[in-house]
Amino acid sequence: VSAPRGPLLFKDIDTPGLRAIETYRSLGGYESAKAWTGGKRAPEELIDVVKASGLRGRGGAGFPAGLKWSFVPKDSPKPRYVVCNADESEPGTCKDRELMEKNPHLLLEGILLAAYAIKANTAYIYLRGEFETLQRIVDRAIAEARGAGLLGTSVAGSGWALEIHTHLGAGAYICGEETALLSSLEGYRGQPRLKPPFPAVEGLYACPTVVNNVETLMNVPHIATHGAQWFRQWGTEKSPGTKIFSVSGPVKRPGNYEVPLGMPLATLLEEHCGGMRDGMKIKAVIPGGSSVPLLPASMLATGLDFESMAAAGTLLGSGGVIVIDEQTCIVDALYNITRFYEHESCGKCTPCREGTYWMSEVFERLETGHGRERDIDLLWDVADNIMGKSFCALGDAAAMPVMGAIKHFRDEFEYHVTHKRCRVNRRRAELDAAQAVPA
Amino acid sequence: MSKMCRVTINGRTVEVPAGTLVTDAARAAEIHVPIFCSHQKLPPLGACRICVVEVGTPRLGPDRQPVIGQDGQPEIAWMPKVQTGCTTPVTDGMHVRTESSVAVKARHGVMEFLLVNHPLDCPVCDEGGECQLQDLAFAFGQDFSRMDEAKRTFESEDLGPVVKKEANRCIVCMRCVRYCDEIMGDDALTAHQRGVWTEISSFNRQPLECEQCGNCVEVCPVGALTALPYRFKARPWDLRQHVSICPWCSNGCSVRLGVRGDQVLRARGTEFRGVNQEYLCVRGRFGYEFVNHPERLSAPLIRVDGSLAPSTFDEAVALAATRLRDIAATHGPESVAFLGGEKLFVEEQYLFQKLARAVVGTPHVDARTRLAARVAGDAILRATGGGRPLVTLDDLVEAQEVLVLGEDLQGESPFIQAQLIRGQHQKGLHLTVAHPRRVKLAGPKFRGDWLGYRPGSELALLHGLTRAALEDGGLEGLPEDARDGLVGLEASMGSWTPEQVERATGVPWAAVKAAAQRLRAVTRKAVVFGRALVEHPDAPRLLEALENLGWASGALTRERSAVLYAGPQNDSQGALDTGLVPDLLPGYASWSDADERRRFESSWGVTLPAGAGLSAPEILKAAAEGRVKALWIVGDHWLRSAPDRKLAEAALARAELVIVSELFLTATAGRAHVVFPAASFAEKEGVVVNCERRLQRAVRALNPRRGTHADWQIFQAVAQAMGARWSYRTAEDVHREIARLAPPFHDSSWGALLVGGHAWSSERPFRSATLTPAAPPVAPASADGLALLSGGVLFLQGSLSSHGTLLPKLAKQATARLHPDEAARLGLAAGDRIELEGPEGRIELALALDDTVPIGSVFVPYAYSDVELNRLGAIPGAADRLKVRKAVAMAAV
Repeated sequence: VSAPRGPLLFKDIDTPGLRAIETYRSLGGYESAKAWTGGKRAPEELIDVVKASGLRGRGGAGFPAGLKWSFVPKDSPKPRYVVCNADESEPGTCKDRELMEKNPHLLLEGILLAAYAIKANTAYIYLRGEFETLQRIVDRAIAEARGAGLLGTSVAGSGWALEIHTHLGAGAYICGEETALLSSLEGYRGQPRLKPPFPAVEGLYACPTVVNNVETLMNVPHIATHGAQWFRQWGTEKSPGTKIFSVSGPVKRPGNYEVPLGMPLATLLEEHCGGMRDGMKIKAVIPGGSSVPLLPASMLATGLDFESMAAAGTLLGSGGVIVIDEQTCIVDALYNITRFYEHESCGKCTPCREGTYWMSEVFERLETGHGRERDIDLLWDVADNIMGKSFCALGDAAAMPVMGAIKHFRDEFEYHVTHKRCRVNRRRAELDAAQAVPA
Repeated sequence: MSKMCRVTINGRTVEVPAGTLVTDAARAAEIHVPIFCSHQKLPPLGACRICVVEVGTPRLGPDRQPVIGQDGQPEIAWMPKVQTGCTTPVTDGMHVRTESSVAVKARHGVMEFLLVNHPLDCPVCDEGGECQLQDLAFAFGQDFSRMDEAKRTFESEDLGPVVKKEANRCIVCMRCVRYCDEIMGDDALTAHQRGVWTEISSFNRQPLECEQCGNCVEVCPVGALTALPYRFKARPWDLRQHVSICPWCSNGCSVRLGVRGDQVLRARGTEFRGVNQEYLCVRGRFGYEFVNHPERLSAPLIRVDGSLAPSTFDEAVALAATRLRDIAATHGPESVAFLGGEKLFVEEQYLFQKLARAVVGTPHVDARTRLAARVAGDAILRATGGGRPLVTLDDLVEAQEVLVLGEDLQGESPFIQAQLIRGQHQKGLHLTVAHPRRVKLAGPKFRGDWLGYRPGSELALLHGLTRAALEDGGLEGLPEDARDGLVGLEASMGSWTPEQVERATGVPWAAVKAAAQRLRAVTRKAVVFGRALVEHPDAPRLLEALENLGWASGALTRERSAVLYAGPQNDSQGALDTGLVPDLLPGYASWSDADERRRFESSWGVTLPAGAGLSAPEILKAAAEGRVKALWIVGDHWLRSAPDRKLAEAALARAELVIVSELFLTATAGRAHVVFPAASFAEKEGVVVNCERRLQRAVRALNPRRGTHADWQIFQAVAQAMGARWSYRTAEDVHREIARLAPPFHDSSWGALLVGGHAWSSERPFRSATLTPAAPPVAPASADGLALLSGGVLFLQGSLSSHGTLLPKLAKQATARLHPDEAARLGLAAGDRIELEGPEGRIELALALDDTVPIGSVFVPYAYSDVELNRLGAIPGAADRLKVRKAVAMAAV
């Protein structure tokens, strides 16, 4: 048996048979849920505990989870809902997938506790369209939990009813945005809604709804068992706890890592991922999924927490750490990212819909050697005109990386204009090599 | 009233109600903030982003009080990002900047984005010249584009005969999709794909299956959706545009007619004005074709040797006057009757009855040619509260509960239907639709309750509702004069037991009771009724029962509640107001009231006939029997509108003189001795009273067709030829006379009656409130066969609508509709040619299956020119039953 991969969510993650409820329970699973729903401790108390723990949303925005729960109106006559955002679609992020695949009951217990805290009787897990296998795994776990009396008309004999349903999305990135997710879940076109009202007040079917990320919810049983102070032994004052980072790129050991928040980016990459492979050098790192501005290699000492990342001009985001080596062309990389946003822009608002298309066209011009000097400033200005003007964060997510890239690597853009090609291009070289050899 | 907020926009402070959106506050401050996706009837969307502005609020100190700066003014904390004005409600002390460098750059950025994929095909775009995007691009004055990449392109699509889509021009504001869903209740449009590939179309990319109202075209801020009937017809700056009042129903929508030369080329809503604002139904928007129709009468016709021959106006007037005078002299003035006029302007209605009463000297006038029974002229006034204020159609959206009695509003009052759908969708209005068929508004989409009563059981339903309302408790606000009748009414309810009501109507008592309780429980409510009750053979009793229900349910007593009469024609209300009924003089003065008669006699300088006037069904009978020898029928295809075809044929055959004023040579006009070609609604000026009793002035949009005259001019010419000293120069002169004589119009001033006008009402009702005991139920006569159900359809209304191409095309072939099970029982299949046989005759038409038609009845719409329902001798609502069978093929063996 190898050493635990992390202190909390990854502590038992590789335990054989963890997917089965017996194994999960043998490790103390559902004890917390039973203790809380058993009647001795009020739902409001759980909200206070989660608030005190400082747990922040792990989906990208980092909003305090307990605070979000406390926004649910206490006296609303409407039903309330918990919706788990399992649409994990941020490029570079694959943590929720592993968490659900290996430990679905921890998610169910987290949802159960959240539902208890806000007095919901129905919860939904919105899975991204490609997660068909995960849906089967989670559905089986739900069936097991219901069989064990932990879901259904009387959770653990408490008299309080809870049902959890899974729902597969239809393949749109925007449905990871919480209000678009709710529209999609209701059967409408997946597009973001106006806020306010926030989902906590008017969410699913216009009823009070808490939407939390998979990882966020999986922290809850630990906090509910051990308390807020215990949770705060990891992380920083404002970003307590651990976070799972999905590291991709030419490091020796890419993969998911659970580390305390605040750990320097360099430590994650050197100590956990074993540094760069094949003698490559880091050019830049995108620390939080494709939506956030990249950090040049000179800033790798920045701590992996919400505050430090913001101070460095980027965001912690979803924890998708994308390592870019020196042989990767930044223009090429950003073209790739921009095309993604052009493809995924939902089309609701003008700046994002038209701006991502325009940026993508300009990138193509640069990539194909038709770039002009003015295109770099144009690209910056188009991104600037999207930034902060779009309906939801998708527009910002498309604009920020472009602006970050131009800010830190303008010379590579200029090289494209003057030389009509990439200064470096490992990807192109690899592709050429692959095409040269018949399959 | 809601709290007021002070908002400062670009340094200009305005006070607006809390919750006002920044864009609306800016309009109040007369500062222009452009909008595309925002629409006054749709909830804020915030999609197009063109209205981005800088917003700041007073900075609060630790004590939650505003921090006062060095200049003595509160310090403003500006939000880090620009905000969309169309989604941001104002708060007290808010500051807004629309012209700061940040706001201007953001707005220019959005504008530039909107043009990224927008084609520059303005020269061939119907919207060009009145396009908001074009105007804004012009205002920003950018004469070059930084966007020189290839634009994405779509194929254009015809979405049916009305809507043409050019998706390349679309800016994805979603107004069309949302309007169609939230106001039309049709859900015919959707967005396909996403991002720049977002494309508006029908769900299956097939022709739209909807009301074809064209409101999607109206609300499109660019030329992405254009109207096929108007496509490439004109540039907007070549059109003269005038606002008239739509002639197609009683809702009184303002319609902006675009005229070039002597042709009406289009009709549009009025955007921010009128009862309807941007809204028009398919008839209002595309039903103008008859005005331009080549077959319109252009010369008076007189009967010479048995056939109609063209004549001159003077000759026709002289002939009409001479013959009227002769007949009145020979047989007495009572041998002359005046019929029709529900579609005339009030000035014309007034002169028509004045011509009859004061010049010819006959008491027989009635505009309501379709009546099956004599209905008192003030019966509708009583049922609607005696002149108490009604609700406006705008208020109807805010009502909590609305009961629709017997009408399929889609065909009869499309705008009321749209208002109710909007109320249901946006404001939580609950609908109860009482109709034998499950009509659109009773559909599950609108989450209302449907009382599907048995055809002909209207009276039982009304008594049942009244009984349930009385059982529900106290009659707060019941006027003193009605109290006398309460005991009698309550006692009479004894015979209308729940079982009796259930048996008669087929509606479970619980549903009737719940409907009455819902109506009573809310403060803002309305009951809507129309021709289904008024043209019913039992109309007098139904209207009494309706008044009972009005008082018992609180619809007549609560503020901003009403019983609303949606009459069958655009000016049905005006005909009542101007006394174009046998028992009323203008302004609801009773014919039998000697003082009132004296008032009119002295004003008109005549002695009015003493006898009581005959109502339309009585005139029909009298003429068929030869007692009435001369008829003047105005704007009414009487052979179709009279309840009995045989009698009408006989009447026209026997009459010594028939004068018809019409636009087209209808079969009725073809039987006349004198035919006056009349000007259409678009070619004359006058006032129309809509279902809210709102007086609105229609402006003349074009000159009368050569050879035609406005009806009031025809009446005046004949009156003068008969020796009357009439000297009205304009319709305004007539209106002034009405305003003087008719109390409801006392406040009416010609100048103030343009778009929007005003609704008349009286705090001191013109009639006392009356509760009338219900007559005990009579056992229905049992008869074999099917009950006749009829009603309006959306695409046709009146004989004018068949003079065009689009509406008849949309209406398709006329069909009789049967429930599939009923058809199976009769061995009939869809498409079969079937024969309906009534007591008096038979008609033939094609069969369609329709599961909204109740078993035991057959639905035949009356609006088709080839369906002559009055040949059957069966009246909808009556006990008459029809035999339905496959028609025998006429082909020779």
